[in-house]
Amino acid sequence: MMADVRTATTGLEVAADEVTRFFERLFTSIELMQRAVQQRFAAGPVDTRGICDAVRPDVHALLSEGVVLGCGFVADRDALTDCSLYLAWWQGESQQLLGQADAPAGDPFDYTLREWFRVPLRTGQRHITGPYVDYVCTDEYVVTCTMPVIAGGRMVGVVGADTLAERMEEFLGDALRSADATLISDHGRVVVSADPQCAAGTLIEAPADRVPCGDLPLAVCLAHPA
Amino acid sequence: MTLRHASRSRSAIFAPLGDPGRATRVEQRLADAIRSGMLADGERLPSEQELASMLGVATVTAREALVALRNQGLVTTVRGRGGGSFVTRPKQSDESALQERLTHMSLVELRDRGTLYRVILAGCAELAAPYADELDAESLRDLLVDEGVDDVGAWRHASSELYLSIAALTQSARMTREVVRHEADFGVLLKLPLTSPEFRKATRVRHLELVEAIAAHDAGLARRAAQEQVAAAIASLVDLHAGVR
Repeated sequence: MMADVRTATTGLEVAADEVTRFFERLFTSIELMQRAVQQRFAAGPVDTRGICDAVRPDVHALLSEGVVLGCGFVADRDALTDCSLYLAWWQGESQQLLGQADAPAGDPFDYTLREWFRVPLRTGQRHITGPYVDYVCTDEYVVTCTMPVIAGGRMVGVVGADTLAERMEEFLGDALRSADATLISDHGRVVVSADPQCAAGTLIEAPADRVPCGDLPLAVCLAHPA
Repeated sequence: MTLRHASRSRSAIFAPLGDPGRATRVEQRLADAIRSGMLADGERLPSEQELASMLGVATVTAREALVALRNQGLVTTVRGRGGGSFVTRPKQSDESALQERLTHMSLVELRDRGTLYRVILAGCAELAAPYADELDAESLRDLLVDEGVDDVGAWRHASSELYLSIAALTQSARMTREVVRHEADFGVLLKLPLTSPEFRKATRVRHLELVEAIAAHDAGLARRAAQEQVAAAIASLVDLHAGVR
């Protein structure tokens, strides 16, 4: 009995390591955009064209890896000189620029209250949102990784990337299945599970014996607890 | 939103109609596509001949439909070189445009669309309830308008946003896209009763009930609150309809 528990825990640790490596790689790419934005802001006032030029190379590099659906920089209110709300964010096969996006109702899209924007700005930490249906930008079921950008002592916005929830299943499914594990966010929301009946997005009670994924806001737990 | 995955649904707009020779059906399909934003503002429509062959109707039928759309202000025709028919998306907050639309609608169509909308929203509320975490509940509460607010536009915007957020909570991207489409189309009309202070007051009570039911993961109660809100809006629209006719 005891041996079983130990094996299970070790399995979870292996799965947690795999998940951590996946997200750390993604965040390393996001950090490149973060640095580009910081450098641009250090050089003086920034407008929409300036910010797009600054992040575009790193955005294209990340998009071409085929892991993320979209990525870029989203400005905090009035951080740019010529536009109050702006998304230097590219997405889709055609790598379309969001720019001054509109919400479905036709008004300009105020993203400042969205979890992926609000949380990293408030905590100063990187954040993982979802999986959730993003009905404003991608129209898809995604997981969004974001981190705050501080330049000249103030928050100027967030950099991040969207990944389709179904791609997460593809990338992390094997690792989780081999440990019969479920990956959950720090809200207890299922990202991917070895249990096919445990749908992405489901809220579960996070068990005490869950294994954290490094210092990411994620953990793995047993999909079928004894 | 300009970056919607338009291509998915666009092909359906121009798919052949089963029953040719019906200008009103052509008109209605295009009008829906324009109101819901699937055809973008300023976009050039295919020519009468192209439209006719795409939809499988006579050119004269396509022309008739375009004339009707022009009369509704949904299409502007520019003559001469570089001319053609262009989509004119109505400003959604425009009260008189909404009244005008209501006038053009039969009571049967109003109930028909109302039933579809009601089932969708009630279903979303029910299926959203198990998925709302604390942050989600907070975001939904942020979309409740304070009783003292008289700005009808703010009420409309917030309730539209509320329904979209609830649809997104079902975790289904397809369901959410469907609701986005309905919100931009019939949903806009359903917000017309919000001009009445009494209706706003009752809406606040029902929306509060809806949000708290979702926060408490009470699917049945959430469903009932959504049902009641839509039913009340339709009842009020029927009264308005009787008044403007």
